[in-house]
Formats: sequence, C-alpha cells, structure tokens
Amino acid sequence: MKKLNEMREVMVAGIGLVQWGFYPELEHYDFGSEAVFNALKDADMEWKDMQAAFLGSVYQGTGSGHQVIKEIGQTGIPIVNVENACSSGSSAFRLAYQMVATEIYDIAIAVGMEKMPRGPIPSTAFRPWELQSGFNVQMANYANETVEYMHETGATVEDFARVTVKNRKNGAMNPNARFQKPVTLEEVMASRMVATPLRLFHCCPLADGAAAAILCSKDKLKSLKRSVTVVASVLTSGVYGEGMMMGGTMPSVKYPAEVGIVELSAQQAYELSGYGPEDMDVIQAYDTMASAELWDIEKLGFCKKGEAFKLLRDGVFNIDGKMPVNTDGGLMSRGHPLGATGLGQICEIVNQLRGEAGERQVKGAKIGLAHAMGAGPNSSVTIMKK
Amino acid sequence: MTDTVKKKIPLKEGFWKISSEADGKPQLIGSKCKSCGEVFFPKKEKNWCIHCNKTDLEEITLSRKGKIVTFSVVLQQPGGGFYKGDVPYSYGCVKLDDGLIIETLFSADDLDSLKVGMDVELVIEKLYQDEDGNEVETFKFQPLS
Repeated sequence: MKKLNEMREVMVAGIGLVQWGFYPELEHYDFGSEAVFNALKDADMEWKDMQAAFLGSVYQGTGSGHQVIKEIGQTGIPIVNVENACSSGSSAFRLAYQMVATEIYDIAIAVGMEKMPRGPIPSTAFRPWELQSGFNVQMANYANETVEYMHETGATVEDFARVTVKNRKNGAMNPNARFQKPVTLEEVMASRMVATPLRLFHCCPLADGAAAAILCSKDKLKSLKRSVTVVASVLTSGVYGEGMMMGGTMPSVKYPAEVGIVELSAQQAYELSGYGPEDMDVIQAYDTMASAELWDIEKLGFCKKGEAFKLLRDGVFNIDGKMPVNTDGGLMSRGHPLGATGLGQICEIVNQLRGEAGERQVKGAKIGLAHAMGAGPNSSVTIMKK
Repeated sequence: MTDTVKKKIPLKEGFWKISSEADGKPQLIGSKCKSCGEVFFPKKEKNWCIHCNKTDLEEITLSRKGKIVTFSVVLQQPGGGFYKGDVPYSYGCVKLDDGLIIETLFSADDLDSLKVGMDVELVIEKLYQDEDGNEVETFKFQPLS
C-alpha cells in the first residue's frame, strides 16, 4: 500500500469564498457557484480546466453539487456529492487531493456549501429513538462534554467566554465572516443560557455560505508564487470505546479507547507530513462551541490536557501569539454552514501562507493546520505549507 | 361505548421490562457479549458484538441505580421536530452500578437540583402525549428520594 506522501506533489492553485451570512432569498447553488467563480478567478483557470469535482454539503439533498455546477457549465466531468457532516468540505478537499496525488487527474475542485435550516441543527446523525428523546441537541451534547472537561481541568465558563472574545475580535478583521463585530466578556456571560453551562455566545452561530479550493499538479499552476503545497489531508472515523456525544456514542468502561478520533487524525497528519505541532505557524481549531476549541487544541497536540485555558489567558493563541488559533474568527465569527466549514478553514490557512491575510496576518506563516470534525463522528486534519 | 382510556406506549420496544423478580420495578435490557464481556444498551437486535465481532450475545438486565456523570439542562426546543417532550428538559450520562455508562433523560421536579455525582435510579415516565391521546413513555433517571 503506497502512502500519499510518496506520490505526486499537490498544490492549491486557488481558493474562493463568499461572505457567510443569512441569505433567505438565495439557494445553495447561488453562493456555491459564486465560490467556484471566485476560486477559478483566483487560480487564473477556466471551468473547462476542471477534470473532477467534489462538493460537500449536509442538508442540500439529492444532486446538491450537480445543482451548483448547473450554474457554471456542463462538461461531463465526474461530480461526486460528499456528506460527512461538518467534515464534508474537508472530505471533498481530501478526495480532490487524492485524485491529483495519485495522478488520476491533474486538476480537481473541492467545494463546500450549505443553506442552513433555520433554528438549532436538526441533526439526523442519531437513531430515531434518540431523536425523539431530544439527544440530538448538539449544544447540549457539547455542554455535557464541557461539564466533564471543567471537572477534569478546572476551566471555567469565563475561560470559554475568552475564546469567543478572541475569535470575535479576529472575525472583525475578516470581510467574509458573518459576524464582524467584537464582543466583550460581559456580553458573552450575559447572553442567554442555551444548554447549561453553555450560553448563546459560547456557541457558534449558523450561517449560509460556500467555499471552494482548486487542487492541481505543480506543472498545471498558473502562479507558483501564490500556490501552497498540501502535505497532509487525513480523515478518521469513530474509535471503539471513545465517548462522543455529538455522535451519539457513550464511552466504554470496559474497553476505553487508547487513542481518540481527533488524536488519531492528528497523529496520522503529522506522520504523513513530517511536521509536528511545534512546526505549525497558524492553526484552525474546531470551535463549534468555545469550550471545544480548548480541548481541540489539546487533542491536536499543541499543549497538554488542561493547559489550553491558561495559554489562552496568556495570549498564546492570539494572532501575535506563539500559536495563533482561528485568525479569521473561526466558526464563532464565520458562522457554521456545515458543508462549507472545513473548506472555510482551509481557505484561511491558504490566505495566511500566501501572506494575504491583511490585518489578520501572522508574520512569517509558512506551515498551517486545519482541523474539522463532525457528527458521525469524523475528524479531518489538513496540513499545508508554503 | 368508545374506550377513552389512554394507552401507554413505550418509545421503543425492548428497552426495559417490568418483572416480579425486581419487585415490579422496571429494569433496562441490555446485551452482553459472552466472548469479551462488553455490555451494550440498548440491547443489540443482531447477534454481533461491535467490540470483538463475535456472535455470542446474551440478553441481560442492567442495574437500576447509578450516578450522574454529566448532565445539561436544555432551554430550547430541539431542531427537526422529533422531540415532543417538555422544554426545558435535561439529559446526560449515568454510570450504572454495574459499570455501564448510558445516555438518558433526567426526571426531577427542579432540574437545577441535579448534580454531577448524584445517586439516581431508573423510572419509566411519560415523554409526551401523541395526537391520539396515548402516552408515549420512556426511561429516565431521577434523584433517589
């Protein structure tokens, strides 16, 4: 079995984003196609150059990707729709990456798009009886895991509020974010309780949105200068024994998991890329809830369990800190169009590595990591370098 | 004459039983793998252990009591329209005395009185009333009286 890092080098030639927000009058194929147009322009390529397309979404139904491409052109290329909950976008990216790495295609496009149903996520990643029991409230599932995390580490709800404050401050510098106004600690702590102990501003907002990335072999690039190399694109699924309430799984007492799903995906990404957490200049951690960003940072290997909230307080995760996390505001500011989120994270890493992140720019960013995970459960890690 | 007595319907068949062996109190039904000893709730419909992949499961009853591992009080209606119970409501995880951790709704007069580590016991209670007036019941855990 060959490893992907022994195969052809794959570059990101272009990225495309739209502003994420609330678009009742638009359909997913409206902003999905706009993201594609933006990526083609960014890559200086034409639609007819694309040889395969992978489009990730969760709630857009049959042929969701085909609907997008119907707005762009019909060249007969293979289109595959990808549903992997919140890792749909990054899973689409991974498929496009693998197609180019294995020399099946020279140019492939990955798109993520979502027009969110209104109100709390009506996740069907649960059995019917679980849905009827009300176990599908992701904020409550994260809240349950937050309760355990607080007991184990001493992190407080104020610490989680600090994550929101950091990310909303970064989001204010992101013209594509749904929310571009900072919030104060007081505002977070005064927001209404959603599922104890998490308040509204501890939870990422929903959003409609899309993002796209074009992957190609080095010889197909129009601009080597603005390209970025993919050095790892990893996907894992549930590991026996690990509790994952957002995936409807209880931990096994008799056979606990030795390595959790997130740690497993991170380890594989570090092994494939040859880089470790200490090499990352810029990070996209998974902040569906403010508390989740902290344990995500720990599980990805950036610090020990229980250390993250202290490092946060010390400013280590700020843009000018040693380990900048969610420089574009994360899910907290961008919002969370499920199918697009993974690609939204990847786009920010690309912006940073290109030196094109404007006032959000991390000085000298050369290597970046993006982590998304979703109900399933699934966990996807992407590492790119300049 | 129309029978207007409400029927009680379990949320799902096979989750619990009420037998004289347990003084008429409800017991949850699980599956135990005779090969590796792992226990599952709800019971498995197929004879297949997802841990060791052997086909040697037997039906067992679980402890009626346990301790709260985590809980959250939910203050908004769950999305999708599947849940028809009361809001606010609470759910989380209980570690049963026989060692299994299960996900469950909690029942309490004051949901804010729930605490991690609290001793709780199994009850069968109404989840919601359907359009025909029947009571759909499910298992919950409540603080020991």
